[in-house]
Amino acid sequence: MRDPVRADDGREPSLGSADEHDTPAEVDAAFRTLRRVAIGHVAVFTCVIIAVPLLTAALGWWSQGRLSGGMSPMFAMTAFGLYAFFFVICLAAATLSNAVEERMLGGPAREAHHDEEGTLPP
Amino acid sequence: MTSILLLVVLLAAVGSVAILIRPQRASTFEFYLAGRRVGVVTNACAICGDYFSAASFLGVAAAVYASGLDGMWYATGFAAGFVPVLLFIAAPLRRFGEFSIPDFLGRRLESNSVRLTSVAIVQLIILAYLVPQAVASGIIWELFIGQGVGGLSAYATGVLVSTAAIMLMVALGGMRGTTWTQAVQFLMLLAIFVWLAIIVVASGFNYPDALRELSSRPLANPVESGGTWRLEEVTNRLHPESPAYFGEPGGQYSQLGQFALILSLALGTAGLPHIMNRYFTSPTGTAARMTTVWVVGLAGLFYTLAVLLGTAARSVIRDVSAELPWLAELTTEGVLRVPEYALLVLGQVFGGRAGLGLIAVGALVAVLSTIAGLLLASAASWGHDIYERYINLHATQNQALWAGRAAVAVVAALSAGLALAVRPESLTGQFPSIVATMVTWAFALAGSALTPVFILAIWWRRTTGAGAVAGMVTGAVTAVTMCAAGVLMGDTPYAAVLMTPTVVSAPCAAVATVAVSLASRPPQDMDRIWVRMHGTAADRRAVRIARLTVAGIGRRSREGR
Repeated sequence: MRDPVRADDGREPSLGSADEHDTPAEVDAAFRTLRRVAIGHVAVFTCVIIAVPLLTAALGWWSQGRLSGGMSPMFAMTAFGLYAFFFVICLAAATLSNAVEERMLGGPAREAHHDEEGTLPP
Repeated sequence: MTSILLLVVLLAAVGSVAILIRPQRASTFEFYLAGRRVGVVTNACAICGDYFSAASFLGVAAAVYASGLDGMWYATGFAAGFVPVLLFIAAPLRRFGEFSIPDFLGRRLESNSVRLTSVAIVQLIILAYLVPQAVASGIIWELFIGQGVGGLSAYATGVLVSTAAIMLMVALGGMRGTTWTQAVQFLMLLAIFVWLAIIVVASGFNYPDALRELSSRPLANPVESGGTWRLEEVTNRLHPESPAYFGEPGGQYSQLGQFALILSLALGTAGLPHIMNRYFTSPTGTAARMTTVWVVGLAGLFYTLAVLLGTAARSVIRDVSAELPWLAELTTEGVLRVPEYALLVLGQVFGGRAGLGLIAVGALVAVLSTIAGLLLASAASWGHDIYERYINLHATQNQALWAGRAAVAVVAALSAGLALAVRPESLTGQFPSIVATMVTWAFALAGSALTPVFILAIWWRRTTGAGAVAGMVTGAVTAVTMCAAGVLMGDTPYAAVLMTPTVVSAPCAAVATVAVSLASRPPQDMDRIWVRMHGTAADRRAVRIARLTVAGIGRRSREGR
């Protein structure tokens, strides 16, 4: 039996005249905003990734100082800190990207859809 | 006997899950994409199961064990890889749809030569990734079971049994069965790490104190010369005049080497076919993006534990080696000769034979789940991109499925053959972790040949098919040449940089793609392609259908009541 909402080639089928759609202009505007979001976050990510090994040359305490026992700031950053940083930057980028798409795409269709559900004032 | 029983139970359990959750309908859409209905958390766990191979389960702890802080760069790079995936690839890739990386690139750039070139590169990456997994399964069997079957060595038996078992599971279960087994397998791996970490800490292991003790003397590892083993101090790559220490950088890499390794792993993740194919199974682009957030969180937890356990192994094994006679043949002055044994030995020290069995089962699970993903990606590439597009254009769904299954069998046999030809013991003296190092080569190829083209195809409208082919070929040739030069140079400071070539080859690939693209014509109707890839209409439609379905089910159940 075929899946009622998907064709066998993996494409989503049309839902007719009530189908959701985006215009090229609004997609282009959203694309440019998302590109800025991605480049901004990747710049921060790259700076931190480069800084962790590079700080060894600039600051002696980074690799030879001790926070607790034999754990240097660099060891702590590499063993735990970087993973927390990756998670935070991913969560921030994903939240911001979702919000951008939510605001910039599907305007008229979303309003119509909300209207169907009675969420807009009459 | 207990070991063999554990293995039989594991293989039977994995096989049963795959068969029970196998696709009920004979279609390539179900076989390769699990009907595009895999939820965020399930897909995140499945991606982790796919991604955390023997290189992560045994290799990261082994690299930390052998090289201290410099061994951690593997874990950092593996985890960092999902940040560019989230920022640049996950959502647009899913929104554009398709079945595989070659399918995506071929349709986006409207070029058959792009499709064929990417099939060749995808197969190379899969093979480069499969062989170390098969090698790891042989190493684990050798240590855990210790005996072969039918006149074969223990190593050869491990390679053949694990490859054959997982080949059957993938052929029967398809993407749906593989997704669920990979998700369960990842949870099993995480549970094993948590159990071992708890038991190690409960026994009195103190992380900061162990680091102080380990860093109080120069880092030294066993080397064999003239048939005898002795400890030799590790050369400090940052300051050759002074010794290297466990808790400080320089045990394995120069400053450029550290950066080159992280970049190779971070960019390589975005080009791994078995990981990227999983994004096609998400219901929407937004779900693909949120799946990546979960993956990054789970990867952070997993690698934090792997690094802790690698450190604990270095500290604990040295302390107990004098009291445990069975450690004598594995160690030299309290240091393991094969770093990959670190977690297995730690398991036996704290849990006896059962502890060793549990770690060995975990390692095998890691290997099997990754092999499953790789075989499925290979099948999608051969079966969908070659068989259905070029060999049999009018193939029925049944014929296409059997082509995919045949591809699984051929690639599995090839990887097992190559793994049997490799002798891991001849390489372990040269690298901190042969498994992690071999996987790094696959990452280097993926990050050099595919990732730059991927990112440009998604974010630069002017990218053309000719440009993409030029970029992929340039990246692949540069990466392979540099890796080969690194292997030939042996244990020299430049070799480490040459064997992580992405820092050079990825920019070369990007420049070649841009230059040739500017000199050729982009696909027509770019607006349609852009709307499909960066628009969210399909996402909203999928969400709307899901809401209507849920509302319909709720209404029907209320009426039934």
